[in-house]
Amino acid sequence: MEELLLAFFGSFFPAILFNTEKKILGWAGVSGLVGWTVYKVLTYLTGMPVLATFFGAAAIGFYSEIMARRLKTPASVLSISGMYPLVPGITAYLVVENIVTGNLSAALNKGIETLSYAGAIAFGIMFVTTSMQFQAKYKEFFKRKKKSEA
Amino acid sequence: MNTDRVLRLALLAGEILMESGSEIYRAEDTARIISKSYGVNAECFFMPTGIFISGYGGDKKVISLMKRITNRTVDLHRIEMINSFSRKLNEESISIEEAERELRKISEYPYRNFPSMLTAAAFTASVYSLLFKGTIIDALIAAPISAVIYLVNSGISKIGFFQFFSLFVSGIIAGALAIFAKKVYPLINIDKVIAGSIMILVPGIAITSAIKDALKGDLVSSVARIGEAMLVVVAVGVGLGLMIIIGLH
Repeated sequence: MEELLLAFFGSFFPAILFNTEKKILGWAGVSGLVGWTVYKVLTYLTGMPVLATFFGAAAIGFYSEIMARRLKTPASVLSISGMYPLVPGITAYLVVENIVTGNLSAALNKGIETLSYAGAIAFGIMFVTTSMQFQAKYKEFFKRKKKSEA
Repeated sequence: MNTDRVLRLALLAGEILMESGSEIYRAEDTARIISKSYGVNAECFFMPTGIFISGYGGDKKVISLMKRITNRTVDLHRIEMINSFSRKLNEESISIEEAERELRKISEYPYRNFPSMLTAAAFTASVYSLLFKGTIIDALIAAPISAVIYLVNSGISKIGFFQFFSLFVSGIIAGALAIFAKKVYPLINIDKVIAGSIMILVPGIAITSAIKDALKGDLVSSVARIGEAMLVVVAVGVGLGLMIIIGLH
């Protein structure tokens, strides 16, 4: 419960840093909350944090696309702040620490972990955005086809 | 309609969008919509470091304009304003004088005031130290470190020095202050403090924009942005690593 509140503020404050409009700040916070909830639940259920990150990011993408239509703003305004809690900040730090202390195999280990989290976030958001756009294009295509037949 | 004037308007809109960290396709589409609504056929080619617009109007004379983009920040509110401006332009006709006035107003729109940004930076750091399972004390120490990083970063970018230098300095500051805090009060978790305080430097927008660009087929800018994100991480990491080495010995 405490973590959920942190996740909300963890998206809320970066949104201020990006100069997001006041009335959208709260929605940006909720975006982080949604992503973190999905991430936590899936980590608990499957024990695979990378997979959970992927679906957490997908949830953020889905939420942002829907809310963007309702609030009439670009979806990235919501998704960029929303993905902040999922960013592997501490693993990235450990990479640097391990390189500096000469523990290269641990650094490689953590480095691959960091990259897989980053990739999971990126592809999670992308997966939803493309499927939504494909659906819109698909509808448009059939509408045009019907019109040309009629 | 004066082709030159229309293309200048489209160029200004594109410039504002690219400087605010917009995706390529959004900026290109906006420039195209603006030119089209004043009867000019424009071809746009945008990259993160420069934008090109070429078009012709009723007189069939081709005009090309180019603008170098040097200053790249993140300003989602400006992107949003231009987005609604181009939507308005699509629905109703606005005189070109009024459109110019409106765009200039957007480009001069003030950033949120400095103290509140500083507070937001400090709170971001403490929230993330807590989220990384740090203690309350870690969070309290991460907050001022992050505020100092933000202050230095915005100071250096105001002078106009290149971005990676300020990131490198930020890494040094984060490392130095955290190690100093550890020396004064040995009970803190230094990794939580540092990881929390550098969260404001995470190149999140570069990564998401890179992927969106790749999806739309803007491969040049996609690769450029991924490279930018990598350089940001390396710059911060080297600064941080330097301080950890000094602090350990």
